[in-house]
Amino acid sequence: MSATAAVRTRAVAGAPARRRVWSYWRFYLALSPFYVLFAVFGLYPMLSTIVLAFQRWDGLSARKFTGLDNFAFLVRDPTFWQALENTVVLFLMSTVPTLVIALLLAVMLQSAVRFTSVYRIAYFIPNVTSLVAMAIFFSSIFSTNFGLVNAALRSLGIPQQDWLGQPWGIKIAISTMIVWQWVGYNTLIYLAGLQAIPKEQYEAAKVDGAGPVRTLFSITLPQLRPVILFTVIMSTIGGLQTFTEPQVMVGNSGGTGQSGMTVVLFFYRAAFLDNDYGYAAAIALSIFLLVLLFTAINWRVFRGRGEDR
Amino acid sequence: MRFRWRGLALHAVLVLALLVFLFPFVWTIIMATNTTADIYRFPPKFSFGGHFFDNVRHVLDNVAFFQSMANTAVVAISTTLLVLFFDSLAAFTFAKFRFPGRNALFVILLATMLLPAQLAAVPQFQTMALLGWVGSLKALIIPGAANAFGIFWMRQYFRSSIHDELVEAATLDGCGFFGTYWHVALPSARPALAFLGIFTFVGSWNDYMWPLIVLTNPDHVTLQVALSTLNRAHGVDYSMVMTGALLAMIPLVIVFAVFARQFIKGATEGAVRG
Amino acid sequence: MALTRRTLLGGFAAVAGGALVGCSSGMDTGTTKKNTATELTMWCWPGGLGKSVLDDTIAHFPDPKIKYSEVGGDFKQKLVTTFNGGTSIPDITGLKGEDIASLLPQAERFVDLKTVGADSVLGDYLDWKVKQATTLDGKVIGLPIDVGPTALYYREDVFAAAGLPSDPAKVAEQLKTWDDFFAAGVQLKKANPKAPMVWDATDLYDMVVGQDTERYISKDNKFIGDQDHIRKAWDTSVKAMTLQIDGRTPSGKPDWNAGLDLGTIPAHIGAAWVALDIKSAVKKSAGKWRLAPTPGGPANFGGSFLAITKNAADPQKAFDVIKYMLSPDNEAKAFADAQIFPSTPAAYDKPQLKAADSFFGGQVPIDIFGPAAKAIPVAYQSPFDDAVAGPFHDELKTVQTGAKTSDAAWSAAVSKAKAIAKRQGVQ
Repeated sequence: MSATAAVRTRAVAGAPARRRVWSYWRFYLALSPFYVLFAVFGLYPMLSTIVLAFQRWDGLSARKFTGLDNFAFLVRDPTFWQALENTVVLFLMSTVPTLVIALLLAVMLQSAVRFTSVYRIAYFIPNVTSLVAMAIFFSSIFSTNFGLVNAALRSLGIPQQDWLGQPWGIKIAISTMIVWQWVGYNTLIYLAGLQAIPKEQYEAAKVDGAGPVRTLFSITLPQLRPVILFTVIMSTIGGLQTFTEPQVMVGNSGGTGQSGMTVVLFFYRAAFLDNDYGYAAAIALSIFLLVLLFTAINWRVFRGRGEDR
Repeated sequence: MRFRWRGLALHAVLVLALLVFLFPFVWTIIMATNTTADIYRFPPKFSFGGHFFDNVRHVLDNVAFFQSMANTAVVAISTTLLVLFFDSLAAFTFAKFRFPGRNALFVILLATMLLPAQLAAVPQFQTMALLGWVGSLKALIIPGAANAFGIFWMRQYFRSSIHDELVEAATLDGCGFFGTYWHVALPSARPALAFLGIFTFVGSWNDYMWPLIVLTNPDHVTLQVALSTLNRAHGVDYSMVMTGALLAMIPLVIVFAVFARQFIKGATEGAVRG
Repeated sequence: MALTRRTLLGGFAAVAGGALVGCSSGMDTGTTKKNTATELTMWCWPGGLGKSVLDDTIAHFPDPKIKYSEVGGDFKQKLVTTFNGGTSIPDITGLKGEDIASLLPQAERFVDLKTVGADSVLGDYLDWKVKQATTLDGKVIGLPIDVGPTALYYREDVFAAAGLPSDPAKVAEQLKTWDDFFAAGVQLKKANPKAPMVWDATDLYDMVVGQDTERYISKDNKFIGDQDHIRKAWDTSVKAMTLQIDGRTPSGKPDWNAGLDLGTIPAHIGAAWVALDIKSAVKKSAGKWRLAPTPGGPANFGGSFLAITKNAADPQKAFDVIKYMLSPDNEAKAFADAQIFPSTPAAYDKPQLKAADSFFGGQVPIDIFGPAAKAIPVAYQSPFDDAVAGPFHDELKTVQTGAKTSDAAWSAAVSKAKAIAKRQGVQ
């Protein structure tokens, strides 16, 4: 790759090998919008979040440096631990089914001959819909006396459940919505990955007499590993930031026993409802560490084994 | 014979999944065309009713729906156009040229994808306050005008779909850097642009927490905030809320329908292969 | 594009400069900036003010023109972020009763109404209500719009069918305490298993807390949420659950709306403004509802204020506007408009309030709400009261669903509430 790139550069600029950095200004200008925006609206706020995490501030009076107070309080705040647990449980309850279903659908879609584009478009539609509208929709179908889910249960002779009033019911409702929304997206990504696997590998497996299950485990999954890593990381980043679904479905308090309280909702409350900005910053930093930790774990699980590339 | 059965079973599962995915939309339409009383009875009513326009009127009585839809459209369209331009330009530069610091800049770009932006909301809000943008739509458009994911995505596409010879040829024809981008790179990247465009449009349309925080001016709320207001009103009228939900989804479905083919192509073609 | 970039660079320089100058600058840029005098902006939430009163006020004060905005969603959050953002701050704003205590520490955002001549009218309003908007050093930041004295709303037909007293006078006599109320609930359940007396036991909890003269935090800033008066309210709520007369239907939800009409929610205890919710929710049962005093004594729920921000271009003018809007005559009109219950006792004698209400079978609501409004117990409400109360609600719900025992949920609630209190500097 580097050889062709060198040719290209010469072709475009037609300049000698050693030039001043400034002569590349067009490229830097082309890249600048992202970096400038990031510096102003990304980097600077994050740096001040770090500073803020060591301060106490209500948004009105002067800021006070309080050292590690915010963190000391955070580790002893039962609501924080609960929010953490909720977030991880919700993440597992939604991401695992999403990715498994998406993978199965992708494998099936690839072996189906007809109507594949109809399926693909239809599967993706949940992802291009209004999130708040769908959160309202899901809270209505899970409502106690008049919800569709309970109507279905009753017609099967099963007693109705108070879905959005029960700690586990809240989690089921929220993760159902996330699964519904993200299966199609991940199916498309997996399908792209599947199409990139060379056909010869499958033919060779067929010659060896491997059945569909063995083919799945010996060829499809290993070949798909980087794509799976990509989807797992994207789901981790998204899943650990769940906010809209619980906020719309059970409100700012997080519902019964705060079982819909996610870390981002906890953060939002501390900052914009309680005006406890320093504490909110400390929460934000902890969530960031959590995301890093999860990403690192994912990386090890999906990439670290055997061949490092 | 066995083969045929397998095909049928396959399609049966796929169609079932399709119904599950599309059901909420159908049910939303049913709720939006009936009265709340029709929805909340057992067994529930499963057919379309004739109350849609009454419900629309109720929505309009409660929130400035079209105003907030217009605001959302302005935000989503401008954000999308800016993202498409800035991201593809940066991606093209990364994909096809060498210059000092390229790798370092790219690594920084990848690293920023890990930073959860919404957690920096407090200082971001302060920044907006300093710029005097609180309550204005600028506060939604400008910070999202370029993003790392889009640059990453487009770069993968440019690398695999544009031949170096093409870039060289364009240069020999006298196209400058920008000319090559405009005349060669952009036209060949339509599927990828469609994907990124829809992705951005939907994301911007759906953004909830940030508008909730930063749009303090009641005349400038976005659709998602207006919808949640509708949902919070005391003694909620569900068929009205679902009508609002339906109206909020229609533009997205239209945009998606128009670009669906390009989009699917972009999503499945080459993009993740890099 | 170039413009954007330049603005951005400018912005970046400003931000970097701001960061260097010091961290104490920041969100409070707007406090000193006055609004323009060409317009008088006013914010309130949907249904917060009477429509005819509002129209009349706008017509009455043509110069400068009043621009009224209805702000939906979480009103307090919107208001506080707007203050912090420093732009488009209204001249006059509504403040909700449940938010007033937590806004008192931000009193410097608001004009002390005593400085613009409020002293002459403060005496016209219910004393305990004015106190809610008074800081410890005596500043008054809001003039009361309305109050929310509670009463027992009940279905006369459902009560009668179960052999319970159904005439308001008899109900008042027999359902004096919570124990009476629950005993009647048990009898009702026997006669009519589909009609739980309590609509939602966790909602009931708040009513019982509101009947006491102490809440979660004492006047000298100590956490008292773990003490007997709160535990008593908690146990009252749990008792409704264990007696199985709890309908588990929080008010304002579709299930509640439907239940009122179906007779499956035969009673509700709520503030005067709940009448509007019930009236808009029911069709068939109009005329079958009655009012009686709250078992165990009246409490107050909600009831809001109008305040003037420091940004107001002309605070005196703004005060004239709110004084006009909240005069006894106009408060009586607002009651006729939208059941906004007056905060000035002088309004209780106006014809709009003396009118019999056919929805309540010809009962005169003021006969119940008027005495209740005057007998509200005055409780100190700390700015952090609301935040501390949160865990109690959330944990009580776990008892209701059977996920936790009462004692386990209680200790979880107390420990979470203590953590929040400690965070806010409460001992």
